[in-house]
Amino acid sequence: MSLIHIENLTVWAGQTELLAPMSLTLEKGQRLTILGQTGSGKSLLAQAIMGNLPSSLRTEGKVTLFGDEVNAKQRQRFWGHRISMLPQEPWNSLDPLMGAQPQLQETYQLVAGQSAGEARQSADYTLALQGLSDSGHKRVDQLSGGMAQRVAIACAMAGGASVLLADEPTKGLDVSRRDQVVEQLLTQSEQGTLITITHDVAVARKIGGHMMVIKAGELVEEGDAEQILKAPQHAFTQALIEADPVNWPAPEPSTQTDKRLLDVEDLTIGYGTSALTKHLSFTLDEGEVVGVVGDSGCGKSTLGDTLLGVQQPLGGRIKRQRQAAVQQWQKLYQDPTAAVSRAVSLRTLLEDTIKLHNIDRARIAPLMQQLGLTDALLNRNSEGVSGGELQRFCMLRVLLLDPVFLFADEPTSRLDPVTQRDVSKLLVDVAKQNGCAVMLVSHDPDLIAKRCDRVINLNH
Amino acid sequence: MRALLLKRLLQLVAVSWGVGTLTFFLMRALPGDMAYRIAASRYGMDAVDNRAADMVRAELGLDQSAWSAYWQWFTDLLSWNLGNSLVSGAPVTEQIWHMLGHSVLLALAGILLSILIAVPLGLASAFKGGWLDRVLLTISTALRAVPVFVIGLLAVIMFALEWNLLPVAGFGTPAHLVLPALTLALSLAAISNRVVHTEARRVFGSSFFEFARMKGLSPSQAFMRHGARNIAVPVVAFLGIQLITVVEGVVMIESLFSWPGIGHGLAHAIFARDIPLIQGAALMMGVLFVVMNTLVDIACHYLDPRGGQLS
Repeated sequence: MSLIHIENLTVWAGQTELLAPMSLTLEKGQRLTILGQTGSGKSLLAQAIMGNLPSSLRTEGKVTLFGDEVNAKQRQRFWGHRISMLPQEPWNSLDPLMGAQPQLQETYQLVAGQSAGEARQSADYTLALQGLSDSGHKRVDQLSGGMAQRVAIACAMAGGASVLLADEPTKGLDVSRRDQVVEQLLTQSEQGTLITITHDVAVARKIGGHMMVIKAGELVEEGDAEQILKAPQHAFTQALIEADPVNWPAPEPSTQTDKRLLDVEDLTIGYGTSALTKHLSFTLDEGEVVGVVGDSGCGKSTLGDTLLGVQQPLGGRIKRQRQAAVQQWQKLYQDPTAAVSRAVSLRTLLEDTIKLHNIDRARIAPLMQQLGLTDALLNRNSEGVSGGELQRFCMLRVLLLDPVFLFADEPTSRLDPVTQRDVSKLLVDVAKQNGCAVMLVSHDPDLIAKRCDRVINLNH
Repeated sequence: MRALLLKRLLQLVAVSWGVGTLTFFLMRALPGDMAYRIAASRYGMDAVDNRAADMVRAELGLDQSAWSAYWQWFTDLLSWNLGNSLVSGAPVTEQIWHMLGHSVLLALAGILLSILIAVPLGLASAFKGGWLDRVLLTISTALRAVPVFVIGLLAVIMFALEWNLLPVAGFGTPAHLVLPALTLALSLAAISNRVVHTEARRVFGSSFFEFARMKGLSPSQAFMRHGARNIAVPVVAFLGIQLITVVEGVVMIESLFSWPGIGHGLAHAIFARDIPLIQGAALMMGVLFVVMNTLVDIACHYLDPRGGQLS
């Protein structure tokens, strides 16, 4: 008996087909990896299998779980203890008012059916296993993204489901944590079956099994993962694999100006009384591109806020060696949708920036061309453009202010590999041309190695 | 916690002084001879003449300057002596205590009833949506659009005059409480049920609520464990904001239903130009407002610990 069997599953919005017919069968111990770019319909497939699509969408086709054909409503009864899904954005998926441990304990108790005492032990044990023993009482706003991810994974697995769907389970995790999550998923899948949805070729390579490559809701290639990754047949698959940072060309070194921009001596950063990183000393020259790496929660974002003067250092000194206006010390955010208002069009936002800082309009068209932004794009709001386009719009706004320093906090981690390669290259190139120093934060050492002159590692 | 209470105590002192002073000077600024108004309240409109007014003036020392009267009131206040009523001569503190009990009873009954109306309706309309949502939105808008005494009058006409179910006005039995409390509750619930609705929609559509279901909790478990508290945080905060509507509503409703509370007393005292009583009543309302806001703040803190320490 196959654990999961799907025949010609399609998703419709009105008369528009969002997902072309998909079929798959998985036995116990088998794995499936679905590879595709952001917006390719991978998540729709996962939601259609779970049976939690929004009511505006309609599905057709047959889903058989554990030998019984079940409709979407019936599948809800399987949630947690037979079929489970890892959330894509764990920081939004945990109760904002409840600590991590109670959320895990309740799952052991209410879903897996353990007694209160057993559930508490199970929860404490699992948290210890994840290196979160000291964080059980913390709420999601006190956890780093990576820690929240581990808590959410533990919650999704606590019910003991044998069919596990993982929708971008490693998004935003650094490499060591990413490999840990992958290990965790692989161990879990031995008892049942695992469906992983990812745009990360490295993750797909590690999980392996059967592979489906999806582009714009259509299946472009299917077969054994190792085979496809070694010799991709379809042009789209080839492009995806090429875009993996490992395969990027080596960087050209920046032209050194030897003009000092920033001196940092014995800096201690953190919130309130708890220090995240101590005794940090480094220098930064004008026009230099420096990578910042470190485990999730080690204070990469806090370093940026401290250098920009948004947050007070707990100790040490930051000396700016160059006089520049406050808006010339800039930041690029990880999630462009959170940094841009969706209430008005991008043109309005751009006009606001121009008016506020008296920017010469003649500069806009060439810069937009360089960033690959069309004028028509400005008529839409942030929801009407892709993540890559929006991040390039954010870069446009920042670069118009003639920054001398730019702290780019994981600016490409939410983009798919092809867009990630293009946007990160563009960022570094344009900054170099404008003599702007960049601190580029990333959890991906390959990306840092291919984009930066040198690296600051916060773990040491 | 101690820091918050200390801060609120200081606020209480500031509010007491501010409200008392403001009412004192506002009352002095009203046109007309105060002695005449007070004498009219004591002896009746027809029996008032210059002689009666002069007697009142001499007895109460009304011809002293505003500043010395104010100073006297202020030093008395420091020893918690609110003075005597200019009309009845009885101590203001005594009268206010008596009225306060009735007002607090009405306010609490009204708030409680409004919660009992608003929470189930708000949750039901968020859960079901469709026609129920539209009907409730229409009723809520209509109730909010009319002044609270119109709601009260309609309630009197329907329940007391047409159907003879409840007394028109007065106090003494639990039946007397029903109509005033219901009037207050309706005017409060008209908005708070929409706040419950909006917050419930937000929580039901949130990622964390979906994930709670996804990891295996049943709809009712997900609601009890993760829905209720997240909905409660903004709703309780809103109830705090709504306290101003309660104070406003109590003045109107007490006058309408002859409910012997502070609002009713305040209205009468203003007609009679009974300054110590006005000051006392206004003072007590200000104090109540600060105290209830403090209670709401403490409740919010325990519901939502994200704000950090109470301060």
